[in-house]
Amino acid sequence: MTDPGTQLNLEGMTPDDFQARLPELFAAGSGRISEDPRFAKFLHDNPTCEALVRDLEYIADAARQLLDPVTDEPSDAVWDNIQSKLKIAAVGEEPV
Amino acid sequence: MYSQGQIMNQAKPVPGSFKRNPPIAGEAEAIEAAKNGDAEAFSKLYALHKRRVYTLCLRMLGNVSEAEDMTQEAFLHLFRKIGSFRGESAFSTWLHRLTVNLVLMHLRKKGLQLVSLEETINPSEEDAPKRDFGARDPQLAGSVDRVALERAVGSLPPGYRMVFVLHDVEGFEHNEIATMLECSTGNSKSQLHKARLKLRELLRQSEALPLTALSEVLQ
Repeated sequence: MTDPGTQLNLEGMTPDDFQARLPELFAAGSGRISEDPRFAKFLHDNPTCEALVRDLEYIADAARQLLDPVTDEPSDAVWDNIQSKLKIAAVGEEPV
Repeated sequence: MYSQGQIMNQAKPVPGSFKRNPPIAGEAEAIEAAKNGDAEAFSKLYALHKRRVYTLCLRMLGNVSEAEDMTQEAFLHLFRKIGSFRGESAFSTWLHRLTVNLVLMHLRKKGLQLVSLEETINPSEEDAPKRDFGARDPQLAGSVDRVALERAVGSLPPGYRMVFVLHDVEGFEHNEIATMLECSTGNSKSQLHKARLKLRELLRQSEALPLTALSEVLQ
């Protein structure tokens, strides 16, 4: 049976087929393959694929947490340089 | 002739574009004032966004000195271009896109073609993630802390790191990344997948070793 959404033959799909399509599957929809009922049986029957999906989803989730809060910040010299360049530009000595 | 404020009011926000970057209190006023050349307002925008812009540069470049230089360039560029911000996306999203483009331009000027050609986005064979359908592995979920993930991201090959940071950390869509990196969306999806596979490999290696050996593995 071919799934119309993914064009995958979900009945006869091998782990290699599944892995080959993973970039597209992750990019489609919510990217939560583990929660997609179409893949529930396949993942249940293929624990290594299930573990792979679970880990990759976990990495993607963890990456989102890297956006905030951020603790690194540039040194004060960066703002000093910006201010000095803007001042120079303001008096027309040098374009910013 | 329309003023910038009028144009901003007419612009239609893209649905969902503010989810990851909600407006910051006082930011809208600072943007409008900075558009009119208010130095204090620009200083406020710098204070609000310096950390994330710097962190983005640092993640893309992996070098503190270059990251500071590019942070400086990004805000100087912002000063020149802020009049063209129309509010169609969150300001931070717009600023980050501006920053990414500057960093990519910088990398191209340096002669690093890693982001301009599809073939050079691909790392060498030894850097590529290994296919892994062997025995069931121990669960990674819940066992990786922020520091370990940051280190692992820092040790990714540049092409993988770029796509991973832009998509998974910054939240850009594949079509946006493809435009920025001058590659196909398929290539962006493929690089992201390889980046996640490589991270899985690195994180599992780090888990298997004592903490003292972690930095060597992730170098």
